[in-house]
Amino acid sequence: MTAKGWIDGDETAGDMLSRLLTEQLPFLLLPPLHRLPLRVGNVVELVGPSASAKTQILMQAAISCILPKEWKDVHYGGLGRLVMFIDLDCRFDVLRFSQMLKHRIMEANGLSNEVQWDEKVGDLKKSRSKRKPSISCDEELFALCMRRFLYVRCYDSFEFLATLKTLHCRLQQESEAHGIRFYFLMIDSIGAFHWVDRACRPLPVRFNNRKSLSLRCLSETVVQEIRNLLLVHPMVVIASKAIITVDKNSANEVKWKFGKWFAPDTSYSDNIKSNTEHFKYHEYMPSVWQTFVTHRIVVQPTGSEFFILENVSIVRIKSSQSIYRNGYCHHSNLWTNLLWEMLVSLLYLDVLPWLI
Amino acid sequence: MAPLRSLETEYPIIDSNFQNFCASHGIFSVEDFVLHDLYELAAFAEQEPTSERLKEGITRVLAIIDNQHQPCLNGMELLEDAMKNKHVLSTGFEGVDLLLQGGLREGLLTELVGPSSSGKTQFCLQTAANVAVKHAGRVVYFDTGNSFSPQRIAHFVGKISGSAFYQAKDKVLQKAMSNIVYHSVFDIFTMFDVLCQLEFELRSQMGRGRYLVQLIIIDAISSLITPVLGGGSQGRALMISAGFLLKKLADEYNVAVLVINHTVGGEGGISKPALGESWKSVPHVRLLLSHKHGSNICNISILKHPSMASGKAAKFVIYEA
Repeated sequence: MTAKGWIDGDETAGDMLSRLLTEQLPFLLLPPLHRLPLRVGNVVELVGPSASAKTQILMQAAISCILPKEWKDVHYGGLGRLVMFIDLDCRFDVLRFSQMLKHRIMEANGLSNEVQWDEKVGDLKKSRSKRKPSISCDEELFALCMRRFLYVRCYDSFEFLATLKTLHCRLQQESEAHGIRFYFLMIDSIGAFHWVDRACRPLPVRFNNRKSLSLRCLSETVVQEIRNLLLVHPMVVIASKAIITVDKNSANEVKWKFGKWFAPDTSYSDNIKSNTEHFKYHEYMPSVWQTFVTHRIVVQPTGSEFFILENVSIVRIKSSQSIYRNGYCHHSNLWTNLLWEMLVSLLYLDVLPWLI
Repeated sequence: MAPLRSLETEYPIIDSNFQNFCASHGIFSVEDFVLHDLYELAAFAEQEPTSERLKEGITRVLAIIDNQHQPCLNGMELLEDAMKNKHVLSTGFEGVDLLLQGGLREGLLTELVGPSSSGKTQFCLQTAANVAVKHAGRVVYFDTGNSFSPQRIAHFVGKISGSAFYQAKDKVLQKAMSNIVYHSVFDIFTMFDVLCQLEFELRSQMGRGRYLVQLIIIDAISSLITPVLGGGSQGRALMISAGFLLKKLADEYNVAVLVINHTVGGEGGISKPALGESWKSVPHVRLLLSHKHGSNICNISILKHPSMASGKAAKFVIYEA
């Protein structure tokens, strides 16, 4: 390259901005999180303790991604792209997923929650809606969407790495078969093999340049492989991570640090402890993973039986200005009698104003 | 993991030249290959005189690696497998079956938590008896505290079959009892041993149609894990490995797994499930059992379920002998 070409640069800031604005796709997380400015190439970590709806959030995002924008004159508002789901926890429930997808399809068709869906008979029992969609159309769309969802499960780190190594070819095949590209790479959850890998102490290697199967080396390879993959398949990576909180405040006395909402970002350290005062946890992933993550979303269920309080903190790291907000919502006797799917749909409809 | 040397007989492309090239980059086994950046390796291969052959070898090893992970399925294939192969096993308790939409689902790891004498073992025995009679499936029962009672099973079987004729009853009992395989285990290593043998058996059965084992019960898994927990990460690693092994058996061979957990005193005197936070991410379903002293009515509630709200509860009765 000539010196002149190097000085000229690739494009002007105006060009870049207009390019980015057209490239930017609507983000598909649940409403409080949809304002997070994410772009292809970002690595999002979804952090939360057990039973904080991490997998639910992933599933919702996946459904929004695989649904088309429009299908036979019905607006679904999806993205019509492919999703790759790597299940390290081995707890993905496909029945639940299909249920949620059907619910979304029916919702878009103007059918209420109460309508019973009878698969075997293939008709709608007692539908109060004015518009009656043809069922064959729905089944077709359902099958189309389900085929856009790719799933693989791994039982140990080696299988995970073997999957990542060979994912490129698989993604390519699927993209070509469907004629669309991947948008999400989901990993649920990234720390699943932490304890097993940590206890595995490989024998000292005889050769200097031979890599050992240590925790650090495994993480480095995982990050490297995902990085390589992103070069060829630009995607958003979302990895959930289960954590053990060291929260001293029990559910009954959650303190809210309202004054800290827009606290200036202190230098980012390996431990998040200083950042969110009421929400502390031990960071256990190696630093190579932590530096790979561009956005971190913290979800935390803090609710006793009659008091639901969901807190979503968004900590955007690696930027001079930190977006860090809290939202909360009180709903008495909502949680107890509520099915999960109803809660999730409420969240979807933006009934809970999480982010203020 | 296989050393590259051992692959030579099967794949002639992995010859001594290729092995030497890999050895110079610190690669001796397929595992090393997985840890290595293959783009980098391919770039090095480019500089060698036999680059074409070396790159062919890399592609070959990559194909071997591709067979090392679980198959990649799309949503439709997953759903088909779940509909066709993952049946629901009735527990025999009406209340529980209603609560869980039919009972224990194959492919899932269900955990039952409860304090001492809350009816955990009775639940296991009844479920084992019911699956052995109604589903005619094999039940593998791990007992860690000598609490298994064949008489009690016989009693449950008698109640389920309900036939008035002595001979018919006897026949059902014979069949049901032979369907239940009992293992007495007192440490986690024995459990791993038996589970691995079981996996081997199931795998060899695989070609012959239906897998016979439908239910694995571990009463109680906490008494196997608790002794190895604490002091370093080894114990936790064993616990998580046990969880993965059980989930693998459950999914691949369509087995329902039921494990029992104790409770321990938590903060403020409220009891909580044993085995701590790391265990929480292992089971698919967590159920809490409680029992009022002096009555035979048990209360069961959902702590965690992939598709149901936590907090839903039901009552059931354990009949005395």
